[in-house]
Amino acid sequence: MLALILVQKTLIWLIAVTNYDVTPDLVLIGLVYIGMKNGKTYGSITGFLSGLTIDFISFSFLGLMALSKSSAGFISGFFNDERKIARYLAGVGFILIVLLCSLVNNIIYFTIYFQGSTLKLSDIMMRYVIPTAIYTAIFAVLPVIFERRKRIR
Amino acid sequence: MVFDLPAAGRGDSAETIINKIILKTLLAYLGNLKEYITFSVIVLISVILIFQNDNIQIRFIRAIAVSVIGTVQSGFSFIPNIFELESENKSLRETNITLAKDISLLKEAKLENLRLRQMLEFKQRANYNVATGKVIGKTLIQTRNNITINAGENDSVYPGMPVITDKGLVGKIVASSPNFSIAQILLNKDLRVSAKDQRSRVDGIIGWDGEGKILMKNVSKSFDVIVGDVIITSEYSNHFPAGLPIGYVASVGTVDNLFKKIEIETFVNFEVLEEVFVIKSLSDEERKNLEKKFSQKPK
Repeated sequence: MLALILVQKTLIWLIAVTNYDVTPDLVLIGLVYIGMKNGKTYGSITGFLSGLTIDFISFSFLGLMALSKSSAGFISGFFNDERKIARYLAGVGFILIVLLCSLVNNIIYFTIYFQGSTLKLSDIMMRYVIPTAIYTAIFAVLPVIFERRKRIR
Repeated sequence: MVFDLPAAGRGDSAETIINKIILKTLLAYLGNLKEYITFSVIVLISVILIFQNDNIQIRFIRAIAVSVIGTVQSGFSFIPNIFELESENKSLRETNITLAKDISLLKEAKLENLRLRQMLEFKQRANYNVATGKVIGKTLIQTRNNITINAGENDSVYPGMPVITDKGLVGKIVASSPNFSIAQILLNKDLRVSAKDQRSRVDGIIGWDGEGKILMKNVSKSFDVIVGDVIITSEYSNHFPAGLPIGYVASVGTVDNLFKKIEIETFVNFEVLEEVFVIKSLSDEERKNLEKKFSQKPK
């Protein structure tokens, strides 16, 4: 997770898209993976700690990323099923779960982050929440491919 | 997380066993909720951390929170606080009493203002030199009824002076002290007033027999007096200025073959009499002496 956080905070700007610098949330992908593997408690604690670390590194709005990431981690814990987890990780399931968790994470983060600004909720959704969720879901394909290759071997 | 309790032993009573079972069930239930409890704690910590920030977003959220709390509180404000209800009731009752007293005083002041205004207008309209007095004592259920007023010799009020209101004649002063006076009113057997019908100029004597209405006596059966006629003081009176309104004819009947029985409804309502004027004029001494001398002359 620490590696993902470092990449997220140092290199991710290189792949930013749209006028609003939308970037994929690699930390969230790792978090969903942990939540699915270990359950709600692990998911929420990992989300909290990773989010808090990002908050400290960013020097802004302490606690906001911790809140959004712990919520996303908690939700990912709902998919902690020993029998289905391999199927999730090898198919579209994982991508959809990442999309869901990313939407929850982004809604919490961006709606609070843009409070007091002139941006409407619809603008926040269209400019940040949905694009970031989709972009993150696209990057969630990488662990799926990795898992499939591992299976083939 | 697993919560273990010592199993029920052989020596345990039934109550102890039940208690242990309940406790075990409760802990098991909490154990199932541990994920939610952990998440709630994390959310709580995050929210506390968020509210430690002092940026525009937090100020805005605080404003929204205050607004929401205010709205919710106002929505539930109709529910009384039972702990404060008793003291609030007591306070309201005290306020109620104070306000009721104030309202009563205001009503009283308004009515007094109205009466005084009418009397002032009368005082300005009439050419009499008068003293104003407040009725501080009154009897109405005897055959010799009087009123006590708070104007006396210091106000140049002396026995024999007529007492009136803006409505009409009240009576006559019969006793006075420096600050108070007593007046006979029309509802007094001892008071007689020379009067006449304003329309037909028929003369008579106004008096009260101690019961019923005031009567106009000594009016011949053939004289013209009808119901509704206004009765005023006549020039024959040595005590009262002529023309003071007394009342109106309420009914006309016959006493015997010679005289009418005329009942008078006074203009002044003695039951609600509160302020009066005393006309500061005494009977003409010269006239009085002449009449006295004539009546004593041997015939």
